[in-house]
Amino acid sequence: MRTIFMTVAMVAAAAVAGCGGGGGTVDKYDARAVDAGIIDATTPSDDASCFTNPTTHNEIINACTDAQPVAKDPTLPLLLDDGGLPPLPQ
Amino acid sequence: MRTSLIAAAIATAIAIPSAARAANCESDLTNPVYLQIGDTQQPLIKVLGRALRDNTPHPITLVYVTAGSCTNINALLNGTAITTTMSYVPSSVENPTWKASDPPLSCTPGVGHVPDIANSNVFVSACTQDPLPNTITQVRGPVQAYVMAVPEASTETAMTVEEAYFVFGFGALGMVTPWNDESQMFIRAVTRSTLLSWAYNVGVPAAKWKGTVPGTPGADKSTDVVNALKNSPAPAKAIGILGAEVYDQNRATLNVLAFRSFGQYSAYYPDSDAAKLDKANVRDGHYTVWSPTVYLYPVAAGTTTPVLADAKYVVDLIADRAVSPAPNFDPTDSVVSVGLVPDCAMKVTREFEGGNLATYAPAEPCGCYFDSKVATTTCAVCDTNTPCAAGVCRHGYCEAN
Repeated sequence: MRTIFMTVAMVAAAAVAGCGGGGGTVDKYDARAVDAGIIDATTPSDDASCFTNPTTHNEIINACTDAQPVAKDPTLPLLLDDGGLPPLPQ
Repeated sequence: MRTSLIAAAIATAIAIPSAARAANCESDLTNPVYLQIGDTQQPLIKVLGRALRDNTPHPITLVYVTAGSCTNINALLNGTAITTTMSYVPSSVENPTWKASDPPLSCTPGVGHVPDIANSNVFVSACTQDPLPNTITQVRGPVQAYVMAVPEASTETAMTVEEAYFVFGFGALGMVTPWNDESQMFIRAVTRSTLLSWAYNVGVPAAKWKGTVPGTPGADKSTDVVNALKNSPAPAKAIGILGAEVYDQNRATLNVLAFRSFGQYSAYYPDSDAAKLDKANVRDGHYTVWSPTVYLYPVAAGTTTPVLADAKYVVDLIADRAVSPAPNFDPTDSVVSVGLVPDCAMKVTREFEGGNLATYAPAEPCGCYFDSKVATTTCAVCDTNTPCAAGVCRHGYCEAN
C-alpha cells in the first residue's frame, strides 16, 4: 500500500512540475509517468513522461510543460498488430 | 464658385472611390503593391494594409487577391497577370471607423500586372521541388498554425495523428468514430496551404484526402469550412481543417481539437489550453501542425535588389526586419493581433513541411513582447529613456539577447 501511495505522490509531483497535469483519462502514454517522471534529456533514457532540456524532435514534442495535455487512446480497428499504419487504399 | 465646386467634386471622386465606381488599383491608389495571398493571411493584410495606408513616413496601398499557396507561387514563377477584381482597405482619412472585420474595398488591377508579392503558407518545397530562379527571393514570415475544428455542439476534444490518418486517408472505411461520414469532413482544395500542411503532418498526400470541399470549386475559402461546420446537420460527426487564426475568429461557434503527433505522449492545443490565445504550444513544439508563411518577390537576376522597392519594404515589415523610412506603427503588433506567431517569438523551427522540429534561438528574439501581447510577461519594460539593466530592449521589453 505504501508503495502505491508513493507512486501516486510521484505522479502528482510530476504533474505539478509540468509533465501533464491536465487530469482526464489515463492512457498508455500517461501511464509512462508512473514509471519515469521527469527526465533530463542530457541523461540518456528510453522511457520518460517528459523531458527537460529537450534537443531532439522526440524530446521537444514531449518536453515538460505547464500547458494542458489531453489524453486520448482511441480504438482504431485498422491499426496493424504492431501498432503501425497500413498503406492507404488505392 | 462653379469652378471650385467642380474641382472639389473631382477631388472627392479621386480620394474616395465609391462602391459604384471601383477604383483603379494602379492610378487611384497611393503606391500600390500587388499581393496574391492565401486566404488565411487576409486578416493580416487587412490590418497591415490599414496601417500602411496611414503610414505617413511612407504610405503604401496593399491591393490583394486570394488564392491557394501553390497557385500564388506559380503566378510569380510564370508571370501570370492578375485579372480579377482586387481588394484594399480604406485609409483613416477615407473611413475613420473602418475595422479589420469590415469588408475591404475593390479596385480594378492594371492590365497585365503580375503580383509584386506572392504568399505561400507552406514551404515552397511543398508545392514544387524545383529551385527558385535567381530572379525571385523568398523570406520567411510569421508562423501559421493549422487546426482541426469541430462545431460547438461536438463533445470531441482531441485527435491523434493515427485517427487523422484513418479518418482522412480512408474516409468512412477508416471506421473511426465519430468521424465516419465523409459529407461532414470539411477539407480544402489541394493547392491550399491548410490541406497541404495537414497532409504532410498526417502522412496522407493532399490528393488522397477524403472529405468534402465546401464552397465554389476552384475558389473555396476558409470561411466555407467555417460555415459548413456551423451549419452542419450532424455536428457530432462534423470536423474541418482551418488556419488557427481563422478558428480564433470563430471561437464562439467552433471548438479546436488538441492534436497528438507521431511519438507524442499527449495531445495539445495550439495554445496552452483551449481558452487561451498564447500559441505557447506552437512556439515550443508541443503543437506540431504549423508552417512558416513565405513571401516571395522578384529581384534583379542574381542580386538582392528588389524589382519594386516597396515590395521588399512590405515583406521586411511582415518579417520584423528594419526598414527605411521607419513606419509610424509596430508591424509586429499587426502580426500578433491576427493570431500569427512572429519568427522572433519561436523556440523551435523546421526545414520542410511536417519535418522534425529543432530548437531555435532567433537572432533578435521578441518572446517577452509576444507574451505581453497574448498573456503576461515578467520581463522588464524599457524605452530610450529607460534602458535595460540586462539584455536588449526590443519592442519595449528587455529580451535576453
